[in-house]
Amino acid sequence: MPGWHDATRELQAEGKLQMLGIVQEQHPERARLFMQWKGMDWPLMVDSLDLLGVSVVPVTVAIDEHGIVREKGLRIGRAAEFAREFVAREYLPPRDVPVPPTGVADISRLKAQAIRSGSAENWRRYAEALTLWGGETRLGEAIQAWQSALAVAPDHAASHFGLGVTFRRRYDSADGRPEDFRNAVAAWSRALALDPNNYIWRRRIQQYGPRLDKPYPFYDWVDQARREIRGRGETPQALQVEPAGAELAPPGEQFEAPGEASGGPDPDERIQQDPARFVRVATTVVPPVLAPGRAARVHVVFRPQTASDAHWNNEAGELTLWVPVPAGWQVDRQRLTVANPAQRTSDETRRVEFELRAPEDAAPGPVTLPAYALYYVCEGVRGACLYRRQNIPLRVTVGE
Amino acid sequence: MNRFLIIALALALCGAQPGRAAPAKIEVGKPFPHLVLPAADDGRPLSVAAFRGKKLILQVFASW
Repeated sequence: MPGWHDATRELQAEGKLQMLGIVQEQHPERARLFMQWKGMDWPLMVDSLDLLGVSVVPVTVAIDEHGIVREKGLRIGRAAEFAREFVAREYLPPRDVPVPPTGVADISRLKAQAIRSGSAENWRRYAEALTLWGGETRLGEAIQAWQSALAVAPDHAASHFGLGVTFRRRYDSADGRPEDFRNAVAAWSRALALDPNNYIWRRRIQQYGPRLDKPYPFYDWVDQARREIRGRGETPQALQVEPAGAELAPPGEQFEAPGEASGGPDPDERIQQDPARFVRVATTVVPPVLAPGRAARVHVVFRPQTASDAHWNNEAGELTLWVPVPAGWQVDRQRLTVANPAQRTSDETRRVEFELRAPEDAAPGPVTLPAYALYYVCEGVRGACLYRRQNIPLRVTVGE
Repeated sequence: MNRFLIIALALALCGAQPGRAAPAKIEVGKPFPHLVLPAADDGRPLSVAAFRGKKLILQVFASW
């Protein structure tokens, strides 16, 4: 992408050529950071639902002054030469090409049409409009609209993908539910199962998946980009969600399992249980179904419950997750900890990730790993500070 | 049952109806698919059609 920018800089400055971007990404502000880093100051449109229907990126397209596609799949090798020829060439206006409307669909009208017709097509149009234009507060309605579309057409792969994007958006919003991420991964996985050749959908799952399946680290450029942007005296574009864990992890060909083997820090369950009153835990396994001999990445998220006004007691020890491993299985870390921040108390969401590998001869079906977490929480402003255990049964499914 | 209702039912049942929610296709010699999408900087509606009159190089990409 920066290649095309560099090759067309002069033509852009002379006003002879306009560069435009469409980003296929769950978090489009990451693309904005990338563009800021590379000095690509073009208009950028966000197509997080992949309405354009491309199954690979990048795709470079030349569009003439009448809106007609003249070249597709342009190669960077002759970018400057192509751009000069393209700008110099005159294209005749085609007949009967109307100028399309540039406004946004009326969400209320689309809703009425969906309810009246009950068709999958109309539910999808309504779901798309809500997801794109309804704002964060209407993502719950958008999820329901996608589900209504899928109730009529359960094998429509793009609707499953759209449902996954919407679940993940809500997960990242102020209204996020702990299980939204798991639902997103399930929906993306269904989309990919229906259309295994869609590279964008495959990448979306790999973004959060195990190192063994990764082609490269996805967002390892972010730190360097920020350093260089700051070095130029600019402020880097802020990110809504900081890339972490699987999103930064380099691909690994070897599965490294630690030698640690014991019952963990509380083998006899002597620490008193927290039945999710103080801390709510959600787990997401990516991919949700793993083949024998393959790995999955497990995301575990801990949220202090606002209903009990719970917060972390940072003056005590750190949060620990212990993962017991069934015979023949491997994990890359059995003991995971989250360091406490500097302040005495805090109520942030805490996340840990680890990888799990099924034995080559694993039988198909569900397997439960009896993991547990230990943490120090305080209840209320003047309430008691406690040390609690929460059992976290990790359900993994082995399939073909 | 009138025939329009029959057509509507057939479309509803087959699940793959013509129209916008079917994926757009970029084809050489054809107008670029009409899509109105949010701008990344401020969320305003933006479309390729809004740049009519200019020669464009469009890149569809991701930063991963």
